Amino acid sequence: MSTQHSKAAEVYQQHTEVVQRHDQTFFGVRQKRDRMAQALPEWERLREAASQIKKHTITHLADYLETFEANAVRNGVHVHWAADADEYNRIVYDILSQHQVKKVVKSKSMLTEECHLNENLEKRGIDVVETDLGERILQLMKLAPSHIVMPALHVHREDIGNTFRKLIPNFDEIAQSYAAVGSMPADENDPTFLTFVARMHLRQQFAEAEAGMTGANFGIAETGDVVVCTNEGNADMSTSIPKLHIVSMGIEKLIPNYEAMGVFQRLLARNGTGQETTVYTSHFRGPRPGGEMHIILVDNGRSSILGNEEHWQTLKCMRCGACMNTCPVYRRSAGYSYTYFIPGPIGINLGMLRDPRQYSDNVSACSLCCSCDNVCPAKVDLSTQVYRWRQQLDSLGKADPMKKMMSQGMSFLFNHPSVYKTALKCSPMVNWVPAPLMNLKLNPWAYGHQMMKFPKKSFHELWKEVII
Amino acid sequence: MKIGLFIPCYVDALYPEVGVSTYKLLKSLGLDVEYPERQTCCGQPMGNAGFERMSVPLAKKFDELFAPYDYVVAPSASCAAYVRCFHPNLLGKKPEDCEAAGKTVDIVEFLHDVIQVKSLPAKFPHKVSVHNSCHGVRELGLSSPSERNVPKFNKIIDLLQLVEGIEVVEPERPDECCGFGGMFAVEEQAVSRKMGLDKVNRHIATGAEYVTGPDSSCLMHMQGVAEKEQLPIQFIHVVQILASGL
Amino acid sequence: MSSREEILGRLRENTRETYNFPDLSGMNPITFSDPVAEFIKKTTTTAGAQLIEMQEGDDLNELIRRAYPDAKLLASNLPGITADLNPDTVEHVEELMKVDVGIIEGRIGVAENACIWIPQQMKEKAVCFASEYLVIVLKREDVVSNMHEAYARLASSAEYFQQYKFGTFISGPSKTADIESALVYGAQAARGVTVLLQ
Repeated sequence: MSTQHSKAAEVYQQHTEVVQRHDQTFFGVRQKRDRMAQALPEWERLREAASQIKKHTITHLADYLETFEANAVRNGVHVHWAADADEYNRIVYDILSQHQVKKVVKSKSMLTEECHLNENLEKRGIDVVETDLGERILQLMKLAPSHIVMPALHVHREDIGNTFRKLIPNFDEIAQSYAAVGSMPADENDPTFLTFVARMHLRQQFAEAEAGMTGANFGIAETGDVVVCTNEGNADMSTSIPKLHIVSMGIEKLIPNYEAMGVFQRLLARNGTGQETTVYTSHFRGPRPGGEMHIILVDNGRSSILGNEEHWQTLKCMRCGACMNTCPVYRRSAGYSYTYFIPGPIGINLGMLRDPRQYSDNVSACSLCCSCDNVCPAKVDLSTQVYRWRQQLDSLGKADPMKKMMSQGMSFLFNHPSVYKTALKCSPMVNWVPAPLMNLKLNPWAYGHQMMKFPKKSFHELWKEVII
Repeated sequence: MKIGLFIPCYVDALYPEVGVSTYKLLKSLGLDVEYPERQTCCGQPMGNAGFERMSVPLAKKFDELFAPYDYVVAPSASCAAYVRCFHPNLLGKKPEDCEAAGKTVDIVEFLHDVIQVKSLPAKFPHKVSVHNSCHGVRELGLSSPSERNVPKFNKIIDLLQLVEGIEVVEPERPDECCGFGGMFAVEEQAVSRKMGLDKVNRHIATGAEYVTGPDSSCLMHMQGVAEKEQLPIQFIHVVQILASGL
Repeated sequence: MSSREEILGRLRENTRETYNFPDLSGMNPITFSDPVAEFIKKTTTTAGAQLIEMQEGDDLNELIRRAYPDAKLLASNLPGITADLNPDTVEHVEELMKVDVGIIEGRIGVAENACIWIPQQMKEKAVCFASEYLVIVLKREDVVSNMHEAYARLASSAEYFQQYKFGTFISGPSKTADIESALVYGAQAARGVTVLLQ
């Protein structure tokens, strides 16, 4: 009985040190989040407010989108609407080609990953440079992100050093200038040096690029602002040097006004990285002098999710990553064990909403511990949604046959009390099965467990004989 | 007050002593306890595996069988939670319209909140590490979830403090999941085992001789993992400690 | 039907129950009896910036020179600041990437997280991000306790976003921990920040 996730996770378990480090790293972020939560007496009120604000906005989304668009247009922004990923990619390409853009610098956006923007642009001859340090490392190493906020924590510094040396053209020059600037020698295993290399390399990219693309953490309907939060300032560099700015925004990112923004600004970094704030919280309301700004509002299934009574609350998600940090399964299996590009509790649910047949392998990656429900700043009912997706698997033709058989077996036993009691009487016979037979693959319990000893008498039997 | 004793399927089959302790303890408090014999299972294993439709007849039977009682008490946090939180939906009714779901409680919350036990003749001169089972914490509210900013409390510990000679500790990551999760343990074997190992090791690190908790399923999983690795710690259900001395 | 119509239509069709905007008056967010003290503490610890409390008669240019004695290229459009480049008149924005110290004005300070609201008040905002080091001038009386108060001020102020349609909250220098969780300053933007509190 296995899924792609369980198989991948099993392979991952072989590297005990790696698993340990991954688990410690992300539980550490969960602990930082806990400290933030304990420091604010109003913490639970903030979560409740965030949940209610999102529920309100999402259930009035069409009106708010119209307001947002009207304000953005009034501010001199071009607003586009993309029904799906294909249309989104077309719109981006059209804007870029109209401006004869050959190189784009971009800040992190899960939406662009969802729509496979980078591959699409590269195919059509436009160079895309990720400017978030983690994303740039992964881009150069041709690896996928393993987490939505800290995507490259699983990568070792030595491998980053190697990659930079091989792929960054003026690496040696940069190394020399590093030694000249400080009194530290350029050490390829030193994150400070590696970050410096990335800084110098990316500055060149900012200068060469003709366009900057960002995502949007929030859109504010009342003013037409797009808010982008980063620790590095790469979204700001990407939009301060090149003159063309394209924003990619999922329609569910909208919030009504600045009063709401106060709630979300205070929650985002505390939940995502355990900091009181990201270093930069930038409000883009209109184009730069001499520049142009475009916002592409992307649906790509979101308006349909709204109609899904059991799962519409995933639209409240602000992509903070807190759920994966607290998930004991994510921490021990890591992003690459999941088949959807977003892992963890929210990833299981979003993947099923994207394509329930393709991404059903992730539904096994949950012990239903409910920790995620308790950290989510917007109170998305994640574990309940996973439970509900499990009920769908059979009708999707994705239920594990062994699980189904075991469930049917149990169901038969439990619905026939006399048969059940006979089975109980016979169960001590299991004690006599020789260990080698017991430990066969056919007995999945034996994988990690010593087999239980069945007591001579079940409670039912004891009750009859002793207690009455 | 008439109490209906609900002994979950795996407690029935594997840990009948937990059922016996529960019965003895309730009787020692002068309560009227019955055990409707036609009971089998609450349906949680099938539900969590994705076949909750198979649990519907069990929920119906449960509702009928336990209708005559004021409280249904079970020595299992996850089973009590499944009945209370999921049976109404299975029955297509509101919780207040169900016969049994609304009054089904785990033994810990029953003793702590309903009977409000203030003393017990229990003696257990050992150091125990408390296992805060997930469904107990987050569905029944047996203790404050570590994720939340709420006043700290732990009903299991409150009850254990009534036991003479006992030393009670909690492990690091006091309410992280042990990795049982029902079918999760067999479908995601490797991760489940790792979660179990990590949890057992954290319990051992407290220096405790026993791991104790309100859910035999968690204890069963951890015990299986511990025995396979020959790790030195024992497992006992909370109700057995509370009933010691009877 | 355009995609716009399609999307709006589907949203309206799929909305069942609606919910109200919550009443936030009972939030009771954390406030400080001395917001300035808290702001100074957060700025110099968690935000990782320097802070100088200006005294009567202090010369801004002198303070900047003392804070960054090795700086060769300064940029600012603030009146009274001696600078080599002016972000209002610089010919190519890329020139600002060579700036050692950019001097800008903050208009709101937030105690809970050391954020400073920097409205765009210059033609090229690159000076706020591309400068190696950033000096932010802020008035003590403009410090509030938390982000709710800061956003309330922004919402009620007509002056921001008039000339330039951008503003940002900055809390200390640029940071990253993307490589093995090791904290490094100066990831992309300012590697150091000095707040001059007037």
